[in-house]
Amino acid sequence: MQSFGNDKSFRVRLAAILLIIAFSSLIGGLFYHQVILRNKYTILSENNRIRIQPITPKRGVIYDRNYQVIADNKLSFTVSLVPSEMQNGVTIKQMMNLLDMDSVTVARRASANFIGNYIPTPIKRGLGVEVVSILEEQGERYPGITYSIESVRRYDTAIAAETFIGYIGEISPDEIKASADKEYRPGSLIGKKGIEKTYDQILRGIEGTEFIEISAQGQIIGRYSGKEKIPAVPGDDISLTIDIDLQKKIVSSFHEIDSQFCCGAVVAIDPRNGEILGLASFPELDPNIFSGPIPTDIWDNIVNDITHPLLNRPIAGLYPPGSTTKPITGGAGLELGKVTDRLLLRSCLGGMKFGNRYFRCWEPGGHGRLDLYHALEQSCDVYFYQVGQLVGVDPWCEYASRSGFGKKTGIDIPGEFDGIVPTSGYLNRAYGANKWSKLLVLNFAIGQGEFTVTPLQLAQFYCGLANNGVVFRPHLLREIIGHDGNPVKIEPVQSFHLPYSSEHLRMLNEGLFLVVQGGSGTARGRRKKDYHITGKTGTAQNPHGKNHSWFVAYAPSEDPRIVVAALVENSGHGSDVAAPLVGKVIDYYMTEKVEGFMKNKAVTDGT
Amino acid sequence: MLEYRHINWRLAAAALGLSIIGIFLIYSSQYNAQTGSSMDYYYRQIIWLILAMAAFAFIIHIPLRMIDFFSYLFYIGAFILLLLVLMIGNSKYGAARWFSFGPINLTPSDVAKLALLAALSRFLAYSKLPPESFGRLIISALLTIVPVILILKQPDLGTSMVFMALLLSLWFWSGLSTLYLLLIISPILSLLAAFHWITWIIYLIVLISVILIIRPKVFIGFYALLSNLAFGIITPYVWNSLADYQKLRILTFLDPGRDPRRAGYQIIQSKIAVGSGGIFGKGYLEGSQSQLKFLPERHTDFIFSVLGEEFGFLGTLIVISIFAYIIYRGVVIALRCRSKFASNLAWGAITILFFQFFVNVGMTFGLTPVTGLPLPFLSYGGTSMILSWSLIGFLILADYNWMEY
Repeated sequence: MQSFGNDKSFRVRLAAILLIIAFSSLIGGLFYHQVILRNKYTILSENNRIRIQPITPKRGVIYDRNYQVIADNKLSFTVSLVPSEMQNGVTIKQMMNLLDMDSVTVARRASANFIGNYIPTPIKRGLGVEVVSILEEQGERYPGITYSIESVRRYDTAIAAETFIGYIGEISPDEIKASADKEYRPGSLIGKKGIEKTYDQILRGIEGTEFIEISAQGQIIGRYSGKEKIPAVPGDDISLTIDIDLQKKIVSSFHEIDSQFCCGAVVAIDPRNGEILGLASFPELDPNIFSGPIPTDIWDNIVNDITHPLLNRPIAGLYPPGSTTKPITGGAGLELGKVTDRLLLRSCLGGMKFGNRYFRCWEPGGHGRLDLYHALEQSCDVYFYQVGQLVGVDPWCEYASRSGFGKKTGIDIPGEFDGIVPTSGYLNRAYGANKWSKLLVLNFAIGQGEFTVTPLQLAQFYCGLANNGVVFRPHLLREIIGHDGNPVKIEPVQSFHLPYSSEHLRMLNEGLFLVVQGGSGTARGRRKKDYHITGKTGTAQNPHGKNHSWFVAYAPSEDPRIVVAALVENSGHGSDVAAPLVGKVIDYYMTEKVEGFMKNKAVTDGT
Repeated sequence: MLEYRHINWRLAAAALGLSIIGIFLIYSSQYNAQTGSSMDYYYRQIIWLILAMAAFAFIIHIPLRMIDFFSYLFYIGAFILLLLVLMIGNSKYGAARWFSFGPINLTPSDVAKLALLAALSRFLAYSKLPPESFGRLIISALLTIVPVILILKQPDLGTSMVFMALLLSLWFWSGLSTLYLLLIISPILSLLAAFHWITWIIYLIVLISVILIIRPKVFIGFYALLSNLAFGIITPYVWNSLADYQKLRILTFLDPGRDPRRAGYQIIQSKIAVGSGGIFGKGYLEGSQSQLKFLPERHTDFIFSVLGEEFGFLGTLIVISIFAYIIYRGVVIALRCRSKFASNLAWGAITILFFQFFVNVGMTFGLTPVTGLPLPFLSYGGTSMILSWSLIGFLILADYNWMEY
């Protein structure tokens, strides 16, 4: 060991050998390319061009929880321009003829999607086979014009899927800059909204590349032999937590209500794990119209529509929750020791005077003296005014915020809104420091005023009530199905715990149970004989028009399997419109999807 | 006082010859046949050459002992520059690699090459620790790894490779046994062997028997065994757990030629350019029009392709011969220097020049990966030019002082 490889002459000899090998390999390599292969390269450099043909990977299919297809692909053709093969005056004219476009549009598309001289620049997508047959038969008349096969997204349109799936479209310059990822280039299709956006990396796959040799006359000679073809890697399929059958029921039930009510939102969640079973925004938007460049007139129609179809109401629509958040007020009163469950507060005579203002109850006839259970059952405003006043603005906001309001739920689609929990800091900013009345808390206590929520936040809150205070993050991705066929399950993530003890949660749930099951409950019309429903109606005051109607409920009361929250804009009382809608959805789920109850049904049918 | 007749002018002449060839090639690479003129890169390169020769003149006039004395200070200064460029540097293609002062770009990683060369030369020359000792190896490795990490953050794989090559080469030159060197780089072999478990097991058996036969120091033996096991077992595991697009991103980082739309396309076009040059080339200003117009890096990283296309095999042979001459002179200088520091300095200087030359030329026909390393003396760029001439300055200075201890 000591002598071997250690003396200087050995090192010099070794270094000399390595250097000679290195120089020889350089000279040998250059000799091989410049002398032996010179004719091949000379032909390539003089006559031919090499075109880089991207191979679009198949985008992953999106399934529902039972592997029914929500979004898949259909083949279509894309016509592209190859800048290096263009002929002055001919190419643009022929492109205009072929695609029936004006020269401005062609030029705009060409410059927007330009990647490189030798790479086809997509001009128009979603074309039929007729265009391709023209190019195939008379290719020499269309120099610099080529086509490729691409898959175009096809969405199930009957299920308001745009709410959660979103759509894909051509990447914008800002998106290219933001991603800094080499996989994206001008003209790429990218998820723009919803699941398509959040899981774009999983769904998109990896683009492949082919190198094609083109003669000086523009004819394809064949694959360039100097560089291997790189095959495309298809994207992974995914399975969502959505149940298509339930989603269909949600959509059809919404359309069964009076057609004057165009707008609203429905959210259905499994409270045991946060899996979103149904999510719909009304009026629906057809995601298929976004697959290519959207014609300006269609886009203008959407943007100017007074029903705002672009607003994703379940996650971005902000509404006062009305009476549905009275459990926050009750829970805060219990936790802070201001009330007990059996304590009777001052009598409701259809309203009550606080300071020098008279605050009305929704029931002009009054409710008399009530305890917490019956106040929830009959949704007595006067009871909750009193509790709200005892709790105070900031403590009340603290409980609202810890119940998941005023901040995003973290659902796995973009565009969620925070909502507003009107703390004293917020009110100081809105009205000026201390220029607001402490009595504003009375409004918040019954879910009115500055307090706004999204339908998803409300559903999440009731998931917590139904699940003994434990809230799982609402999510849509259930499984990633790779090419090896092994699905990777997404584990539910515990998000937070409601700030109420289990004893107090039991009291709140008992009160909400009476809303449907009690003798004078506001939603007693929703009672079913096979199972119990627990829930709460709500009527959100709307300064711009008729009140919004809310109903949020879970079932079965003893072992909750589903929470459904529904909002119908401008439809008045919660018990009139929203409650029957939720009732239908829950009943469908219980009888068709929850095993124990399906069996019961079969038995009843048999007898 | 410096005696000019004892200076190795032939070495400087070789460098000047390469630099002038470079300027002509840069002119050609940006030449526009329609207007009959070239963009002003060549003009700026002439100014860079003058500045580089001024730096060279400065270096050969300072005493070698001074370089020796200030090498650690120089190293610390370069380290601060590298930190600064990460924080406030300008970026191109998302990588922060240089500072801009008006039209001048300062690339700290080139400064760091000189600083590391001086610092390593000094440490390895004066350290009393034996070549195979743990302390000597770990300190010199740390000296190298700190700037490498900063440069990898930029991220610049090619330059980081220059630093690693410099360390290994100086270890080799300053007396580390070849077998130890092989053991030190063995984890890379383990990585290659690990793509099939049978080859990896065979490799591991060979490695263990080598360790048992040559009986190296305990820490080297353990290092070799553990690092090989780690690379062989953990890497495939981590690799398989990555998503496809993550794998692709890593592979493209290691070998940019895999990315078909960028470097991959450049390789194809560079091969066609070089190959179509044939034996005698297409002639000056004749090649750039047909093939190289699209190569964005043709005046920097792919300058050798311009040479290959316009001057053919004969042209490339001449440039390679000049490089071979510089390397040969450098080895002779490193051999005859009596002072260990001067010898290390000369050996390190030719290591940097040779490594960049080899990787850059090999890249033009697909032998080596596209790493963004410039060709010394020929590629467009100020700091690269000054670096290359400074290295020639080190060589001449070492040669001039060869008798000193």
